[in-house]
Amino acid sequence: MAPTVSSAAVPFSAIERRLACYLRALWGRPPVLRDAGRRARVSIVAGAIRMPEVLRAETVEGIALHRAAAAHAAAHLVHSAHRFPLAKLRPIQVAIVSLIEDARIERLAWQDLPGLRRLWLPFHVARPEAIPNATSLMARLARALIDPDYQDLDGWVAKGRELFEAHRARLDDPSISREIGTLLGNDLGQMRMQFDYGRYLVEPVYRDDNAFLWEFPENPSTPLPETEPEAVQAGTVTLETDSTIEGDRADQSPDGARREISPPQAVPATEVPDGPPHRYPEWDYVIGVHRPAWCTVRERRPESGDTRAIDEILSRREEVVARVTRLVRSAQVGHAARLRRQVEGNDLDLDAAIVAMADVRAGRTPSQRVYQRPGRIRRDLAVLWLLDLSRSTNDVVPGTGETILALARAATAVVAEAITAADDSFALHGFDSSGREDVGYYRFKDFDEPYAEAARARLAAITGRRSTRMGAALRHAGHLLSERRAARKLIVLVTDGAPHDIDVHDRWYLALDAKRAVEEQRRAGSATFCVSLDPGADAYVTRIFGAGNYLVLDHLRRLPEKLALVYLRWAAA
Amino acid sequence: MSQPHPIGQYLIRAEPYYRPTGDEVELYRAAYAVRMPMMLKGPTGCGKTRFVEYMAWHLGRPLITIACHEDMTASDLVGRHLLDATGTRWQDGPLTLAVRFGAICYLDEIVEARQDTTVVLHPLADARRMLPLEKKGELVEAHTDFQLVISYNPGYQSIIKDLKQSTKQRFGALDFGWPPRDAEIEIVVHESGVTADLAGRLVSVGERARNLKGHGLDEGLSTRMLVYAGALIAQGVEPLAACRAALVGPVTDDPDIRDALDAVIKTFF
Repeated sequence: MAPTVSSAAVPFSAIERRLACYLRALWGRPPVLRDAGRRARVSIVAGAIRMPEVLRAETVEGIALHRAAAAHAAAHLVHSAHRFPLAKLRPIQVAIVSLIEDARIERLAWQDLPGLRRLWLPFHVARPEAIPNATSLMARLARALIDPDYQDLDGWVAKGRELFEAHRARLDDPSISREIGTLLGNDLGQMRMQFDYGRYLVEPVYRDDNAFLWEFPENPSTPLPETEPEAVQAGTVTLETDSTIEGDRADQSPDGARREISPPQAVPATEVPDGPPHRYPEWDYVIGVHRPAWCTVRERRPESGDTRAIDEILSRREEVVARVTRLVRSAQVGHAARLRRQVEGNDLDLDAAIVAMADVRAGRTPSQRVYQRPGRIRRDLAVLWLLDLSRSTNDVVPGTGETILALARAATAVVAEAITAADDSFALHGFDSSGREDVGYYRFKDFDEPYAEAARARLAAITGRRSTRMGAALRHAGHLLSERRAARKLIVLVTDGAPHDIDVHDRWYLALDAKRAVEEQRRAGSATFCVSLDPGADAYVTRIFGAGNYLVLDHLRRLPEKLALVYLRWAAA
Repeated sequence: MSQPHPIGQYLIRAEPYYRPTGDEVELYRAAYAVRMPMMLKGPTGCGKTRFVEYMAWHLGRPLITIACHEDMTASDLVGRHLLDATGTRWQDGPLTLAVRFGAICYLDEIVEARQDTTVVLHPLADARRMLPLEKKGELVEAHTDFQLVISYNPGYQSIIKDLKQSTKQRFGALDFGWPPRDAEIEIVVHESGVTADLAGRLVSVGERARNLKGHGLDEGLSTRMLVYAGALIAQGVEPLAACRAALVGPVTDDPDIRDALDAVIKTFF
């Protein structure tokens, strides 16, 4: 049956973040949601929930369907811990074992989260009077297992319900799905029910294709390979085949949304360093001491690009720029304070007045500055905006078609515009590395330089290559910042991942060095704040920067606005 | 008729409701026995202020609470000279009052105060236990019953606005978090008057929403908010509307997060 076309169908990309927040709230773990394009059912591949761009159901409209689908898949990820061996099961048994497993994990989920049942129930529309064929009986059984009010006189459905309820005490045990499913599948086979695997689609529509539940015989010890489930033609069994979407068989791009890990590559040694070398120590946590003069930071002259790129970024985000500038302007003059001992004002400054009175009585000339007025104390803040220019920033952000670097550049352009409008002291630097002897440091805009054509041209030309030796870059940034006179100094490090470099294979080494570098800067009077674009960054970012000193962007497309708000948060403090 | 005691009004008459979640009462009592200055750390709305009220009642000491703000000066704490008909007159500030007469002085959200303000606490918060009143030329020795307590929310404070080490190290710290589920249900039931079942659902919503901290929400939903939601429900407000008003609206304007929180609420109501 062709799905009814409903005008209220919501595309997944529009609600991806809502769903992600929803799943994170309910299960407390970061969900991995991916756009699976034009497909009929959700699938779960390597721990990621792949959502079709559009899902349609006859009875329920809008986001509820995506939500039901996401919640069902998440319940699988939580409760379907192990895979069933395919062994000698017939296709119909596979389908029914999957159905029982669906019912099992849903039951477990709604025992904790009762509203989930209300969420799923409207999709179960099977009727007892439907013509009894394999597919309709299975849909009726699915309904019978979730809906206690559903009445069905069919013996097979009743048996399924009875068996399932009889195993209620063992819901935690996935093997009951296999036991019950195999039995029921046998019965259905003996009823001579026709079952066409080629046309079978899991019902109701919110349930996933269940391919991930099965261990395919070719490589029984490893999880499903990361290909389209229908490409895993395990003998005779293909769990999802949909003739209506035949057209996108060619669309086999495995997970276009995934960020590939780019191996850092050494840059040819022919490149001539521009500046004199600065040597910095590096903390080796294994031996517990600083390795003296271990890293060499060289300042390189950044290339210049076409400022029209920046202009275009700004014009495309006109509204954001206006908003951010307004926000920064409003906070520009610093925090509210009583200005005391003023020559004029709307209140008497009591302390000053008393001193003046005492002076009068003592025969001295009193000071005229006896008033106070509400005013603002100008903040005195120097910000060093430090961009990670490692190779991984060339990865494409899921759903945008833009690279991380492009987004970081856009955000930087917006924030730079706003800071310039607010007249704060700010510098815009970047770094990359290729081994400890070669940490590159680029000044796109310096503190004393106006943010003008030249600086914009340099920002337009930033590229991501090489690696991330965070500690050395932080030390150099801190060194530059220490030469500034400001009451408050802040380094904002914009990065997309954990520190790494080509000559270090211990994954904690550079992270712990970076942590050390942050502490050193703090002692020297510069605070460090990290904006991480890696959604899985919590673990190491907390360690490096400390709780509260970082922001993991949960949604990259909001980066410009979020970054501006981060800046405001620290600047107005 | 005798003059009322200057800090009599700060005595807590009725027992404040406080549900201990660990050994904090015993720890605090021991700390008070040696008059150790205490720092109460934890997110907003988790019961720090209620705890200090409870302990003040429990120990029978008056409690002087000062809400700190960025415009607060040392004079606002220690006192100032006032003018009257005959000349100037010294008016003790709340801190001096507590020091002189032996109250527990509670500085709420201490980091909001400027660092030059907080240093007046230093001589009080170490073995000296004294408060110099520079302007008056007086050195006030702390009353034997005096104790200093500060609250401090490490979560949302900015890195720039932090306590100095020299301040921090003068205090013992009690960490407060969200109460365990059963305790939180008990609190919501007691404070709002809803049934245990309803309170359980509210607490479930709170627990789930706290998963979004750092991922859209700056802070987890506090116990205080759950109590508010419960109170609205107890007044006859329909649960969904009460949760939206008390739990969602105050914490976020982000439509995606609102939607997710809404769905979480519907999961339990």
